Amino acid sequence: MEGLLAQLIIIGAKILVILAVVLGLGAYLTLVERKVAAHIQRRPGPMVVGWHGLLQPLADGLKLITKEDIFPRSGNRFLYNLALVLALVPAVLVFAVVPFGPEFEVFGLKVKPILTDVNVGLLLVFALGSMAVYAIALAGWASNSKYALIGSMRKAGIIVSYEVVITFAVMGPIILAGTLSTYEIVQNQIEQKLWYLWVQPIAFVIYLFALLAETGRVPFDIQEAEAELVTGFTVEYGGIKFGLFPLVEWYVEVLSLSAIGVVLFLGGWSPINIPFVGFVDPLFFLGPLSPFVWFVLKVGLLFLFVLWLHWTLPRYRIDQITETAWKVMLPLTFVNLVLTAIIAPIVWR
Amino acid sequence: MPWAKEEDFIELKKRFSSLEIEVKPTITNLHISKSELIELLKALKEEKGYKLFIDHSVVDFPDKSPRFQAFYILYNVDERKRIVVKTWTDGTLPSIEKLWFAGKWAERECYDMFGIIYEGHENLVRAFMWETYQYHPLRKDFPLEGYANDYLPSLNEVLWGDNLQGLMNYDKMHTPVPTLEDLEITEKKRLKKKAQLVLNWGPLHPGTHGTMWFLFDLEGERVVQCDVILGQLHRGVEKLAENEMYNQFLVYTDRMDYISALCSNQAWVVAVERLLGIEDLVPEKAKYIRTMMSELQRINSHLLWLGTYALDIGALTIFLYAFKEREKLMDIIEGITGARLTISYPRVGGVRMDLPEGALEVIKAFVKRFPKELKDWETILSRNRVWLRRNTGVGVVNREDVYFYGLTGAVARGSGIPYDIRKFEPYDAYPWVEFDIPVGENGDVYDRYLVRLEEMRQSLRIIEQCVSKLENMPKSAPFFAESPDPKKLKIPLDGIGLKVPEGEIYSSGENPRGELGFYIYSTGGVKPYRVKIRPGSMYNLCVYPKLMKDRVIADAVAVLASLDPVVGEIDR
Amino acid sequence: MIKKVFERPLSWLERIFFIDFIKGLSVTIRHAFSKTITTHYPYEKLTPPKRFRGFFGHKVVDGREPQPAFDEWVERFKIDVQPGKSRCVVCMLCKRACPVPQLFEIEGEKLPNGRRRVSVFNMNMMLCTFCGFCVDACPVDCLFQSDIHETASYTRKDSVLDLNTLERIGRDWQKRREQEPDRIWIDDQQRMRLWYENDLTLPEVKRK
Repeated sequence: MEGLLAQLIIIGAKILVILAVVLGLGAYLTLVERKVAAHIQRRPGPMVVGWHGLLQPLADGLKLITKEDIFPRSGNRFLYNLALVLALVPAVLVFAVVPFGPEFEVFGLKVKPILTDVNVGLLLVFALGSMAVYAIALAGWASNSKYALIGSMRKAGIIVSYEVVITFAVMGPIILAGTLSTYEIVQNQIEQKLWYLWVQPIAFVIYLFALLAETGRVPFDIQEAEAELVTGFTVEYGGIKFGLFPLVEWYVEVLSLSAIGVVLFLGGWSPINIPFVGFVDPLFFLGPLSPFVWFVLKVGLLFLFVLWLHWTLPRYRIDQITETAWKVMLPLTFVNLVLTAIIAPIVWR
Repeated sequence: MPWAKEEDFIELKKRFSSLEIEVKPTITNLHISKSELIELLKALKEEKGYKLFIDHSVVDFPDKSPRFQAFYILYNVDERKRIVVKTWTDGTLPSIEKLWFAGKWAERECYDMFGIIYEGHENLVRAFMWETYQYHPLRKDFPLEGYANDYLPSLNEVLWGDNLQGLMNYDKMHTPVPTLEDLEITEKKRLKKKAQLVLNWGPLHPGTHGTMWFLFDLEGERVVQCDVILGQLHRGVEKLAENEMYNQFLVYTDRMDYISALCSNQAWVVAVERLLGIEDLVPEKAKYIRTMMSELQRINSHLLWLGTYALDIGALTIFLYAFKEREKLMDIIEGITGARLTISYPRVGGVRMDLPEGALEVIKAFVKRFPKELKDWETILSRNRVWLRRNTGVGVVNREDVYFYGLTGAVARGSGIPYDIRKFEPYDAYPWVEFDIPVGENGDVYDRYLVRLEEMRQSLRIIEQCVSKLENMPKSAPFFAESPDPKKLKIPLDGIGLKVPEGEIYSSGENPRGELGFYIYSTGGVKPYRVKIRPGSMYNLCVYPKLMKDRVIADAVAVLASLDPVVGEIDR
Repeated sequence: MIKKVFERPLSWLERIFFIDFIKGLSVTIRHAFSKTITTHYPYEKLTPPKRFRGFFGHKVVDGREPQPAFDEWVERFKIDVQPGKSRCVVCMLCKRACPVPQLFEIEGEKLPNGRRRVSVFNMNMMLCTFCGFCVDACPVDCLFQSDIHETASYTRKDSVLDLNTLERIGRDWQKRREQEPDRIWIDDQQRMRLWYENDLTLPEVKRK
């Protein structure tokens, strides 16, 4: 009985932490993006609200919540609201299987900083990613507008193609690690003293492009192309409903997918790795907090890299995006699988 | 002067009985009767090589019979000669749609403004006004203020006891205003729906460069037909020109192509100077200043084009980098002329004021740093695989299309024809500076992009030469013309009393967007009788429906941005 | 004279190692660590140059009129000259030179001592194109353009400048900026923030 109560309390605490961190961080990442974009463009960005703009997300959130909720006259209200729920929930649920650090002890209980350590964790991630298609198709259809329909059809086509690509791309690390559970993949990388990035460069690059396509970031953001479709399938949404779509797509999904990318390719919470030799930890002075800091640092760096790409590159056309997915990236993943099968015995030793 | 001589047309006189050749110092006219018009135009196009269509319009003489005089301006690119074909009509004309497609749009405009019916035209609809509009505005019996028949009291709402006295009162009766039903009728008459859905792109859209209204007939993502509805920014500049003095009209020329205002000003001022015959009286300093400012404005305009083009394709930072350099250019222009957008700095006879202290140093500092910035942007864009994939092979214009659609400017140069008015008919200081004309090979969007980037570098060359010339001129050199005989010919700085003798002229200047031409018909006095403005952007836009056939919507932005239209010039 | 422009297609090495992306990214990151160039309006403002064409003003009689033109025009129209009041001689040349003459409303009145004076001078800024033809036409250097450019107002009446407003703007301009030399701009800090990368050194101009 006591053990069950303790377990429930721990799980409750983990859920609260994850929800708070993800949603709060999502809002503040809008400020980070605006500041980074502004400095790339030689201007300061938000500076008025709070010191150097730190309270800007609060101001934005307040403004969006108090705006009028416009609804097109002949749209489908139930599907219109359902689309939003279907977009938000799977994106946040992915964080249930992301491991933040190694197992630690508190008050005599062993706690793993991961919400649920199912042994098919990765399968859950990609299943939840596929649910995003429903949200987009429903949002475009329920808006009853030509622009929204075209935008949502484009985006749905892209997501379906890149789901296939991403699934094949991650088969490489799965073979090398031998398990689908995210916690154990990181542990295997630490045991084998090898970040899978060094032996799977092709898969990493393809995973990165598929991340950009799934979340609708440049060069694959044909959906939000202002010059043609003026925000695409979200064109008939107003107020906080409009604010939640980019929050989910651009920030929460990028965070979750880059966390999975760090877990798969960059060794999770391990410090800097010299292949086959060992680990070097410049942050050793932080003691037991060091793995968590390394994880956050790696996810942050990957996010900043995605931002950097967004504000530099132009965007592809819709038929070029799907063409690249099926004709270029998918064959490369097969080549990667063959190569992995060859070098796997060396890694397993 | 590139006007054709009489000897070229001797054998044509034998074939056409009503042909009369009139050669004046400012223009060469071929007068022909209406029945032989199409034959003569065909002969000129196919046998004599006058393939490029420049313009077509009509002059209204209400007390003569027949009433309208129609004119067609044609150009021979190989021999660099220009000719004007004129005919008289009472209200109908044969259509030249089969000879030049650009004529179709010119004829729509004449039908709209004068009420001339064209036989053989495929879809004779109004060009700028809505379909149910009853009048023809450019006729001489249409008053300048229009017919105020609609009741619109809302313009005079009174707030807080505001006493509407004097200059601020608006009349309750207003000239006709279109309603939503009128706009729907216009849309239906323009495009007959053949495929799945008709998408309205515009008139209020961030992607079209201004208020243009495109209609796409879509089958999935592929465009089956496309058409353009213009006239959302029509302000009646040609009607206003008949009421303004020659110098006062300068203000309207800035507001047509508002992005390259100085080049439009210069084209108008040079046209009036050529009509007066005082081109040699304009002092050297004024010519160099006008050339230098025009080239600065050309760089300014191309930077705006580059910024919005990259923004539409997705490279969002280039927009802000281009505008950083544009800020510097506008600071320079503001320091010299006093305004940033609507400039009116040249005058008939010179410029308004001399250069201030420090202007040449600032321009030199700008010119030194600018090539480095251009190189940075080229690193981001020109060899980027996404950019190449998006732009090569899209929107291809071949050489015959250039003649058939009347294309000029960077669009013609991207397809391999070195058509540049600064070399063909030089004005101001252009005969004395050295520069190259960039010419592309394939005629796709990427070539036009490269041509415009190279034009920016050539403009820098011209500016450097002008600056070194201006530095060596004495401070007291004159910047405005001195009339040799003030009793016979007055050239005032403020333009009051500038009388132009009887005559007509067509003169054009090289705008960054194409060829901006002015056809001025003067019957003596201080105000012109008819001014026809040949907009480069309008004839560049008429190739758009052909380029968009069987393409995806995503190409619509790329092709439109590469043609670089400005609605102020198209709609006037 | 004619220069052919073309670009080579991408080579295989560039394609595999994404060299084109990397070059673009290096340019962007270099800009991200440079100084910002914008002016934080309305907390910081730029000063317009001397030739700026903003709102209008009438210069007042203070002994610095252009002679002999002023005396000639005063005698031709028999104007009553008062120090501290506008220099206008009611010649109507500004109205003739303007592209939109309806914006001017000019009237003169006859004083008891037989001389004339300007009594009404209204300029409707909602119709004005700010071209400066009227300034060129004025023969006594009375009408001029100042640097006032923040002109938003709540009522239509505020955009009509009457004689008192014009004189006020003129007096303020003559005190504040008329003695400035004819230089391309003032070197204030905001402008230098935009131009610092061009290594600009403007020569000093001797004040008159």
